[in-house]
Amino acid sequence: MSLPCGIRNYNYAEDMAIIRTKTHWALLIAFLIIIFTMPLYFSNYWLGVFNLIGITLIAAIGLNILVGYCGQLSIGHAGFIAVGAYTAAILTNRLEMPFLVGLIGAGLVSGFIGIIFGLPSVRVKGFYLAITTIAAQFIIVWVINHWSLTGGFNGIKVPYASIGDLVFRSESSQFYLIITIAALCVFFAKNLTRTKVGRAFIAIRDNDLAAEVMGISLLYYKLLAFFIGCFFAGIAGALLAHWIGFLNAEQFSFTESILYIGMIIIGGLGTTIGPIFGVVFIRILQQVLTVNLVPFLENTFTMLPAGFATGVTPMLFGLVIVLFLILEPRGIAHRWGLFKSAYRLWPFSY
Amino acid sequence: MAELLQFIITGISVGMVYALIALGFALIWKSSSVANLALGQIVLVSSWFTYSMLVQAKLPVYIAFPLVILFALFLGWVIERFALRPLIAQPILSLITVTLGIGYFIEGVITFIWPWSVDALPRLFPKEVVHIGPAVISQEYLWVIGICLIVFILLTLFFRYHRMGIAMRATADDQMAVQACGIPVTRVFSTSWMFACVVAAIGGILISSIGGITNGLVETGLKAFSVVILGGLDSFVGAIIAGPIIGLCESLGGGYLTQFLWSGVRDIIPFIIIIIVMVIKPYGLFGEKRIERI
Repeated sequence: MSLPCGIRNYNYAEDMAIIRTKTHWALLIAFLIIIFTMPLYFSNYWLGVFNLIGITLIAAIGLNILVGYCGQLSIGHAGFIAVGAYTAAILTNRLEMPFLVGLIGAGLVSGFIGIIFGLPSVRVKGFYLAITTIAAQFIIVWVINHWSLTGGFNGIKVPYASIGDLVFRSESSQFYLIITIAALCVFFAKNLTRTKVGRAFIAIRDNDLAAEVMGISLLYYKLLAFFIGCFFAGIAGALLAHWIGFLNAEQFSFTESILYIGMIIIGGLGTTIGPIFGVVFIRILQQVLTVNLVPFLENTFTMLPAGFATGVTPMLFGLVIVLFLILEPRGIAHRWGLFKSAYRLWPFSY
Repeated sequence: MAELLQFIITGISVGMVYALIALGFALIWKSSSVANLALGQIVLVSSWFTYSMLVQAKLPVYIAFPLVILFALFLGWVIERFALRPLIAQPILSLITVTLGIGYFIEGVITFIWPWSVDALPRLFPKEVVHIGPAVISQEYLWVIGICLIVFILLTLFFRYHRMGIAMRATADDQMAVQACGIPVTRVFSTSWMFACVVAAIGGILISSIGGITNGLVETGLKAFSVVILGGLDSFVGAIIAGPIIGLCESLGGGYLTQFLWSGVRDIIPFIIIIIVMVIKPYGLFGEKRIERI
């Protein structure tokens, strides 16, 4: 950990602290103030975008723990989010449980489904695991589409989130709910990677055979990674369900899973800040493209082909993923690190 | 009985196409250990290209097919040269994700150029039905089986006797040794991508001449992975044997299980097979069990 000139650590607690200097504290508090006062400056439309970003962030953090830290490739994340979303929907709509029970239940059910599909990870890795999770994605979507409990193709309605008498009806109240949970998740993820479990994950990612020889139980930690990653996905799914209010399996397509992988790669694998960058980048790009840029281009250039509006987004996202992998495989987080060290060393950068 | 025979023939012919697409996967995996997850999209885009040549440009079949083959060769070359070459020796995660990105990109291109997303290829094979015993079978299934067998034989001969085929097998075996022998490994990679795209394109034409061109072809590409998984990732023989098995499971399961389970069970059977194989025998029927060293 690099520190500004002249700052030293005098004990272990100082050395391990996440937030080290007064500037850190000031920046963090300022950032939190800005985040939590956002409903004051932004319209409902943008708050909706931020809500989606917050929800996606929770899922992406889970995926980052699974892929970025533990190295277990999962391309079925949207399927696990769907499990969470439908669990929350069934618990709150059909069984009329309170919101919090639905939220935790969604996380747990999603986590256990994740463990089931993660079982092959004990024996295989890499491409085999990727294929297993793709299969999981398709099986989950099929079950959702055909089970009577989930409403099938007709979808299912979800009531607003509520804690006691407090009902999260408006975009701004939901924003507070989502952003609080997202902040807690970031905090959890940051700390998880500094614990024994996090170090075990990293050891497994770097070389699982060597990790096993050193006494790390592969079965336990790989399944734990699947559980944590899918638990986050479930929480995100539950929030998504309450935020949209209506669920349909179309929202959890295979392309969405690819997009999640793209987000954590663009952000930077195996870093805490990476998913934040990746999610904000992709979701804002998506929003700007579909809402602003494409209609504008279609109005300006009338000779564009009919498939332009729907085709340009996947084209651009595919291109962004490929270009990031080729040109900056360590993601935006790496650039951010470079920027920080340049700032710290300025003006004497040698 | 007639029904059963019909299911068996359709199952085998669809399975043969899966095997063909799976061969496209195994080709690349064997030579460069890149898992090509964009296979479905490659199948789809070459079917659409065939459609454009045959229906929109109204070319006769004997001009259109060489053009499609050229297109597939070009597609394979472009993908390898511009997306995979810069990523040589990167971790498997990057290699898998880059193919996902390519697939996503191709999907965008497809909706860009052919936005109506469903269409039928003109009939390529004669229409008359054939009577085999009590069963009545559309002749195109038999044609598909025949063409697949021819492609398998050609590929086998290529790998046995052609210089490039031998170089590809050697690269699969030991990349370092091949480089030391002066075989240009990059050209081997590029050829394997080009061949894989051609094989996938033939598979795509065959399957879309029966079932029409839909976005479901992407899923067909993914289903072909169940063939590779069951047969073993690096085994051609495995793919050729596992393909019809998967096809049979799909068509028999679709025919007899739908009444007990929910509809659409047919589309999910290959994925269930993947999970089962993963748990029981992860390296497939003929795959090489990998032994790792620290």
